[in-house]
Amino acid sequence: MTEDLTYPDVVNFAVPFFIAAILAELVWIMIKRRGGRYETRDALTSLLMGAGNVASGIVLGFVAYGFFMVLWEITPLDLGTSIWVVLLCFVLDDLRYYWVHRFGHRIRWVWASHVNHHSSQHYNLTTALRQTWTGTFTFMMLVRAPLILLGFHPAMVLFCGGLNLIYQFWIHTEAIGRMPRWFEAVMNTPSHHRVHHGRNPRYLDANYAGVFIVWDKLFGTFVPEYEKEKVDYGLVHNIGTFNPLRVAFHEWVAIWRDATQPGLTMRDRLMYCVMPPGWSHDGSRTMSDGIKRKHLEAHPEDLGTPGFTDMAGRP
Amino acid sequence: MPLQILLPMVVIGIAGVVILLHMLGRSELARFEDEDAARRAWLREYPGTPPTRVILSHDRHAALIETAHGAGVVWPMGMDTTARFLNGADIRRTGDGLRIDLPDFAAPRIRLRLEDDEAELWPTLMERKENA
Repeated sequence: MTEDLTYPDVVNFAVPFFIAAILAELVWIMIKRRGGRYETRDALTSLLMGAGNVASGIVLGFVAYGFFMVLWEITPLDLGTSIWVVLLCFVLDDLRYYWVHRFGHRIRWVWASHVNHHSSQHYNLTTALRQTWTGTFTFMMLVRAPLILLGFHPAMVLFCGGLNLIYQFWIHTEAIGRMPRWFEAVMNTPSHHRVHHGRNPRYLDANYAGVFIVWDKLFGTFVPEYEKEKVDYGLVHNIGTFNPLRVAFHEWVAIWRDATQPGLTMRDRLMYCVMPPGWSHDGSRTMSDGIKRKHLEAHPEDLGTPGFTDMAGRP
Repeated sequence: MPLQILLPMVVIGIAGVVILLHMLGRSELARFEDEDAARRAWLREYPGTPPTRVILSHDRHAALIETAHGAGVVWPMGMDTTARFLNGADIRRTGDGLRIDLPDFAAPRIRLRLEDDEAELWPTLMERKENA
């Protein structure tokens, strides 16, 4: 069995590249006077969230890694370390990322961790670094279990996850319009990911891909960027703070407040944790499908356009 | 990467980017051109609750919004804006305006710079609509 396998900690090694790319994007925006916006406190918050994410990985990373090593002990399978196995691992880990990301938008417990990544009203390379501090508490490490049990070494799986994260850095930009058609067809791109960060009704719950956009096309969540409607970045209900602690924990606090209201059934309390964002026991809030429906009631002419193509016939 | 390299790099990198942005004038706050801009900012957060009245602050950085469901405020989040209703708010005078504490972990406080007459009038309007 493959033992003591190590790979470089690619995300940490990429830090100088991240900083250089942010400076390059900023210079580009200033020279061209287009291609994005930067704001001091927003960027500071994003960068502090990124630093906190690295710190939380150092402090809590042993939880996931310990879990993976237990699985590695259990599994009789070992696919080895050839380049083809690494490539296969990268592709399957990207499929894993798609589902974790989709759960991150559709299960409030996971959204509580992921929401901070969407909390900026800007979309630039610092937004890419606005990462969670609380990912360990979502238990989404479970979704990686099949990879380990299939015989991919935990170190390889985490290495591929790191490469996946680095790939996603460059797509957080408005400086790049569209890539060549073949690339847009297969890969996640700035255009596809701008859609994912949109709070416009048409762009909600779309484009969960990490590296390969084909997963969204396969599972029916792909929405192309619509030239007639600029992406409005941020949350459906934007936050009013730059405090990183509040950014990191606000949705957890909101879940706690909702689930501990007096007079609820145990089922209601559970639903506040696991139903999609916007669910409420009395129907007083609106989930993303309701937001889309309301938009179409006000703008029926949008039916059939990107993001509203599968809404016909719904109640 | 060893922590003794990573940590200084992160600290210097963050500080450098932030100082550069500030020196480039990227710390300015959003300012509403007119009442319509404030109305649009409100509707961006509450599309189903149109304002019945919009009152811009003298410096046009914030606006008091009256709606059929109570009063709210739109205020800058850097170059952008956000908005909240004022249900359950604790409103206090400060030396240069108002401080509004909200029962909202994600938007705990609004600091408004207002002229004296605005700071005198706005709480009355906010509370009147809140109790409507």
